Amino acid sequence: MGGLEIAVLAVAFVVLLLWGVPISYAIALATLATMLVSIPAMPALTTEVQRIATGLDSFALLAVPFFILAGHLMNHGGVATRLIRLARAVLGGLPGGLAHVNILASMLFGAVSGSSVAAASAVGSVMTPEMSKDGYDREFGAAVNVTAATTGLLIPPSNVLIVYSLASGGVSIAALFMAGYLPGILVGLMLMGVAAYKAKKLGYGAAGTAHREPLGAALIDALPSLFMLFVVIGGIVAGIFTATEAAAIAVVYALVLALVYREVGWRDLPRIVLDASEMTAVVLLLVATSIGMSWIMAYVKLPAAVTGALLAVGGNEIVVLLLINVVLLMVGTFMDITPALLIFTPMFLPLAVEMGIDPVHFGIIMVLNLCIGICTPPVGSVLFVGVGVAGTTITRIVKPLLPFYAAMVIALILVTYWPALSMWLPGLLGL
Amino acid sequence: GRTSDTTVITLGHGLDPTHPVHQSMVFMADTLAVISEGAMRIDIYPSQQLGTERQLLELLQIGSVGITKVSAAVMEGFAPEYRVLGLPYIFRDEAHRHRVLEGQIGEEILLSSERALIRGLTFYDAGSRSFYTKSRRVETPEDLEGLKVRTMESASQIRMVNAMGGSATPIAWGELYTALQQGVVDAAENNPPSFYLSRHYEVCQYYILDEHSAVPDVLLVSTHVWNRLDVQQRAWLSEAVRASAKVQKRLWRLASDDALAAVTEAGVEILRPDKSPFEAAVSDIMAEYEADPRLGPLIRGIRSAP
Amino acid sequence: MKAHVDIWLGRFVVLLMAVLVLDVVWQVLSRFILRDPSTVTEELARYLLIWLGLFGAAYAAGQGSHLSVDLLGSTESRRRASRVAEAAFGLLLIIGGVRLVYLQLVLGQSSAALGLPLGVVYLAVPASGLLFLFYAITRRAD
Ligand code: NA
Ligand code: NA
Repeated sequence: MGGLEIAVLAVAFVVLLLWGVPISYAIALATLATMLVSIPAMPALTTEVQRIATGLDSFALLAVPFFILAGHLMNHGGVATRLIRLARAVLGGLPGGLAHVNILASMLFGAVSGSSVAAASAVGSVMTPEMSKDGYDREFGAAVNVTAATTGLLIPPSNVLIVYSLASGGVSIAALFMAGYLPGILVGLMLMGVAAYKAKKLGYGAAGTAHREPLGAALIDALPSLFMLFVVIGGIVAGIFTATEAAAIAVVYALVLALVYREVGWRDLPRIVLDASEMTAVVLLLVATSIGMSWIMAYVKLPAAVTGALLAVGGNEIVVLLLINVVLLMVGTFMDITPALLIFTPMFLPLAVEMGIDPVHFGIIMVLNLCIGICTPPVGSVLFVGVGVAGTTITRIVKPLLPFYAAMVIALILVTYWPALSMWLPGLLGL
Repeated sequence: GRTSDTTVITLGHGLDPTHPVHQSMVFMADTLAVISEGAMRIDIYPSQQLGTERQLLELLQIGSVGITKVSAAVMEGFAPEYRVLGLPYIFRDEAHRHRVLEGQIGEEILLSSERALIRGLTFYDAGSRSFYTKSRRVETPEDLEGLKVRTMESASQIRMVNAMGGSATPIAWGELYTALQQGVVDAAENNPPSFYLSRHYEVCQYYILDEHSAVPDVLLVSTHVWNRLDVQQRAWLSEAVRASAKVQKRLWRLASDDALAAVTEAGVEILRPDKSPFEAAVSDIMAEYEADPRLGPLIRGIRSAP
Repeated sequence: MKAHVDIWLGRFVVLLMAVLVLDVVWQVLSRFILRDPSTVTEELARYLLIWLGLFGAAYAAGQGSHLSVDLLGSTESRRRASRVAEAAFGLLLIIGGVRLVYLQLVLGQSSAALGLPLGVVYLAVPASGLLFLFYAITRRAD
């Protein structure tokens, strides 16, 4: 196992992508080619479709169709407009006002739901059309949305921190949750800094001054829509329903409001549901085929090959942490965060502990690192959702994403080499 | 590279590498390499790298993975005989359980899934499962009344929890920590090492040692792989499996004791209620299972075993 | 022909999404209001998601809306490559899917909560594969 399979995977994937083949087919066919050189043909074909089908067999993924549908209903039904009008009234002509709204909403949403795909689909499908109306580039809005959605994986509760705890053999989840607050907020603030700078340079949001609205009227008009946020977020926090279930409740609430506002009639519904389903399915197929690809990467022992090669270099704590971060950034370009955590935590954690790094601190490093990966092409679940809901393409979103990547990488360096950022809060609480 | 002289078997499972069961598998792989003098090798893929328990079983049937370990509860969908192992209070005590599983009944159940292209190799001990609650002291089944109890996605487990007075709520294991913390469910049930390793003790105050069931783990091989092995290779594999099962039992007991000590240390109160009211609460459903033509003889066989 | 398939597949996908929403809403109601948690809604939701993902993706294939890396622009030969890849993907789903369904039906495996034969759940794989293949053949190269 090793060299041949890895070469087949890489070459097939790149050739198919350059040929303009849709990414989900490219992932599936490159995976198939690799399976065919490692496993007999019939088991290979059957295994791959089993991975694709069971990749969708996930309660957590359900948040995607629901939040996309709720977003569509909010956009068509006048809920989104009222919320944004309120945001505009508050933020006025601040440069990049709506970009900050997007980031704060994504942070809040991700924080509460613990799912970055849920945050990206919920906030992205509402904010993108509204940001376009204000003169923002579609791609800029999507870039803001995609990167901000990852902060919820650091700010608790967070399913991926739980995955890390399980993969590590039992690092305290309570301590991980506390350790994630400051790094998560740090990433959010840095993204806001980049957004403000770019918005000022590009003149976004300056138009906001022209149609600044009276706060009181906007607030009253938005109350029923605000109540939806209260229901969804309050319901999760109060333990009435899980984040996924909250998404289904959001659909019902958005539907009721849309019918009450009379901006959507029963006859418009099938079209809206079909549009949302189509967008959902594009994202789901990408996620499902990438799960198949993660399987074959593990099967041909790609993780061990990559890790072995880079860690053979060795060195002191600073160098090892740097190498681990570089490996994880490479891994993140192709692999989703959950399989990456499951596979690489047991490989890297013993090494980190040997270097005197706290397992809690190391978990935050790994999660923040892989958060960058889910935003990078060619394979990234949050990137796929963000591009899907914004109705743009991966090629066009890459350039606007670059400064935001830079902010995340700087945050990663700070988190890596300044342990107190993660460890101060859990220490304070005696965890 | 080519490994033409070595028969390689792929083993996938869902536990992390620090888990005692993983270590027992490593012991099996090492033993096999030694006794076969390198003619056979087991490659272990831990941590769900190749899939969850249920998905791995399907991959055994498909033929791309050779060996896996799942909870016997997961086997219910593949071979109904396994249902008896999850029944409440089916075993009198640990010694009785070990004798049954290592005896003729155990063998019969292991081979029952062969028609589903999966062959049982051995049982691994998984101790006894008990309830744990966020904040309610539970001394009797009545105390479970109105509690939302996370249950495995298995019809018989759901019936059992409901019969004991709880409100069975299937939730994915990976989502349970948050579900407990946020109050979507109030309680769950599992063995001490799982209670400890999942860190659920951080959000639960009581561990109630009612020991209502003792679903073992089971190590399985794909018949695609098994049928390809010659007599000598099967003997080597079986020997390595037996050695591994022996080691696993010891490691499990250590892990179980350590887990109870560690959760106590962390402030969990361990309650030791009288088990008989819990057993009485499920007597009706046990009578029903005994009337089942397939399960009845097995249940009576287990009960009458020494 | 394609227009007919579009319409009926579209209706089917809308139906799947509607049932999915109702199912999860029922899950919340049954637990929170009726205080009698439903034991089948979670499993049903996961299986509906498989169907929604696969049939929805086939519908999206018919609309040409799957994302690609459009680095080098669109030419006739590149559009043809996409359709060949779509056909190959459809064939993968058909062949692997038929084998998967066959295995599950023959082995009589059923789901944990609903007792549904898993072969039926996996039927969406070869069925959607046929649709991918159909669209690869009938979709215009524009
Ligand atoms: Na969160
Ligand atoms: Na990526």
